[in-house]
Amino acid sequence: MFEPTQIGSGKVVFEAVALKKHFDDGKVAALQGVDLQIRQGEFVSVIGPSGCGKSTLLALLGSLDKPSSGTLTYRGQSIPDLPDPAAYRCHEIGFIFQSFHLLPTFTAAENVQIPMFEGKLSRAQRKERAVELLKSMGLGHRLNHFPSQLSGGERQRVAIARSLANGPSVLLADEPTGNLDSKSAQQIMELILQLHGEMGMTFVLVTHDLTIAERATRTVSMRDGRVTSDQLSNRTAIGALNDIS
Amino acid sequence: MTFLNVVVRGLLRRPVRTGLTLVGISIGIAAVVALVGLASGYEKSMGKHLDVLGIDIVVSNIRGGFLPKAFDASLQPRVAKLQRVAETTSVLMEMQSVEDVPMMMVSGREWGGFTWANLSVVSGRMPRDGKERAVVLGRMAAEVLKKKVGDTVQIDAEELPVVGIVDGHAVIENGAVMLSLQVLQEVTGNEGKINFIDLRLVPNTSKEDVNKLCAQIKEIFPEGRAMVASEVVSTSQGFRIAQAMSWSTSFLAITVGILGVMNTMLMTVFERTHEIGILLAVGWKRSRIVFMVLCESALLGLLGGIVGVALGVMGIWLLEQTTAVRSLLEPNLSLNLMAVSVAIAVVVGVISGVYPGWRSSRLSPTIALSAQ
Repeated sequence: MFEPTQIGSGKVVFEAVALKKHFDDGKVAALQGVDLQIRQGEFVSVIGPSGCGKSTLLALLGSLDKPSSGTLTYRGQSIPDLPDPAAYRCHEIGFIFQSFHLLPTFTAAENVQIPMFEGKLSRAQRKERAVELLKSMGLGHRLNHFPSQLSGGERQRVAIARSLANGPSVLLADEPTGNLDSKSAQQIMELILQLHGEMGMTFVLVTHDLTIAERATRTVSMRDGRVTSDQLSNRTAIGALNDIS
Repeated sequence: MTFLNVVVRGLLRRPVRTGLTLVGISIGIAAVVALVGLASGYEKSMGKHLDVLGIDIVVSNIRGGFLPKAFDASLQPRVAKLQRVAETTSVLMEMQSVEDVPMMMVSGREWGGFTWANLSVVSGRMPRDGKERAVVLGRMAAEVLKKKVGDTVQIDAEELPVVGIVDGHAVIENGAVMLSLQVLQEVTGNEGKINFIDLRLVPNTSKEDVNKLCAQIKEIFPEGRAMVASEVVSTSQGFRIAQAMSWSTSFLAITVGILGVMNTMLMTVFERTHEIGILLAVGWKRSRIVFMVLCESALLGLLGGIVGVALGVMGIWLLEQTTAVRSLLEPNLSLNLMAVSVAIAVVVGVISGVYPGWRSSRLSPTIALSAQ
C-alpha cells in the first residue's frame, strides 16, 4: 500500500488549509473548512453527492472564484492572491467541463486555438498545434466541424484538446463524462487515464460516479462542504495505464 | 485563425442584427456627408463666384438674414474715393421665389460696373442700357425656370422680358437672374438701396493696406463691414446658419448611431455571457475580452462609415438632380470630408463599445459560465 504522500514526485501542487467558501453573504456554506494536499502526478477523484462542495473546490483550485477564508496555494503561491489569474488559468491549468463549454461559432480546430491567443505561438503554429492535438484525440477527420455537428464524446475530446492547448501541468475536470452515454464516457475516461499516464500531469476530477472515481489513484470524498475520507486506491498511475493497454 | 477572425465571427453571429445596426450608422454618416458636403459646396460656390468676378473686397451691412440688410447707395462714391480702391460697383441682391422655383438669386447690378463684364452671351443679347426693363438669365437659371429668350419672368409684380441667356463661369452666376440695378430697385421698391458694394483694388496692394482700407470703410460706414473676398462666405450669417444646421443635424444622426451600436454591443455582451465565461476559464485576460468587444464595435463603425459615405454620395447626387439645389450650389465632396466621416464612424464605434466592454470585463467567471 502507498501513503498519499508517496504518490507522484512528492512536490505539493495544491494545498488547502481550513478553506471555506460562502455564497449569498454567508447564508450558503459551500465549503466549511477543507484541508487537502495534492501532489504532483496524482490523479485525485473528488466524489460526493451534489451540493457537497466538490465543484466549488474545483472552481477555487482553478482561480475561477475566490475563497471566503482559509488558505489555498498552488506550488506555494496563494491562488486568490495571484497577480495574474488569467495567466495561471491559461498556462498552468486546463479545464474540462461536464457540458464541454465549446464556443458554438468556432470549429473544433478553432476552439482548440482560442486559449493559444494568450501564448506566443504564431498563427501557423497555433493551427498546427491544434491539428496535432485533435489528431491525438482521434479527431483528425473532424477539424472543421462545428460543435453542433459533433457527438457528445467528440465534443468532450475537443474540449480536452483545448485544455491541453497551452501545455498545462494540471488538469481540472468537472464531471467530464456526466453528459455522455456509457460508451463515450468509457472512451473519455480511457483518454484521460492515458493522458495522466503518458504526460505525468496532475489530475483533479470531480464526479459522483463511483466507477469512474475508482480508476483514480486517490479518492477524496466530500459531504456538506467537508472532506469525509481520503483514500488511495490500489491502482497507481502506472497501473491505471496498464489497464487500458 | 487570427484575432480578427474572432472579432468578425462575433459580428457574424447575428447577421441580421449586425446588418440593421450597420444601416443605422450608415444613415447617420450619410447625413453627415450629404449635409456637410452641401454646406461646404455652398461656401465653395460663393468663393468661386467672387473669384470669377474679380472682387477683392465686399462691403455690406453687418445685420441681415440670409443676405445682409440693404443700405443707402450714396455710400458708394465715398468708398470709391478711398486710397488703393481701383474700381467699385453696387449690387442689390435678393433671394426670391421666382415663378415655380422657391429660392433664386436675383442680382441687380450697377449698369457699366465690372460685374457685367465677365458674362458671355450664350443666346440673345445683353440689356441695351441700365434703363431697359429686361433680364438676362444665367444658363442654369434658364434651364431651371424653363425659359428662353423672348419669354418673360415675373420679378415681384412685374413681368420682365428675357433678352439673353449668359454664361457666368460660376454656379452662382449661372443660377441667377441678372438685371440692371436701377431696374431692380424700381421693381422691388428699393430706390436708392443696395446691399453690396464690390471693390477691386489697385494691383499688388499689401495686406497692411487692405487692413487700413477696411478700417477706413468701417469709419464711414459704422454699421457695415468690409470683408476680404475669401472671408465673405465663411462670415456670412446665412452660411453660418447652414453650417450650424448641417453639423447639428449630423450630430443628432451620429448620436442615434452611437445608441444603436451601443445597444447592439450590449445585447451581444449579454447574450455571450456564457461564452465570455469560457474565454475567462481558458485563460483570456479581461483586457483581451474588452479589446475584442471594442474591436467588434469599431469594425461595425468602420463598415458603417464606408457604407454611409457611399450612401451620402448617392444622396448628394440625387439632391443635385433637384432644381432648387442645382441653381444654387455645387456640392463639395472632398476626400477629406469622406475620410473624416469614416473616422467619425470608427470613433462612434469605439465609444459605443466602451460601456459594453467594461460590463463584459466585470463578469465573474463562475457566474458567466453558469449563464445560458
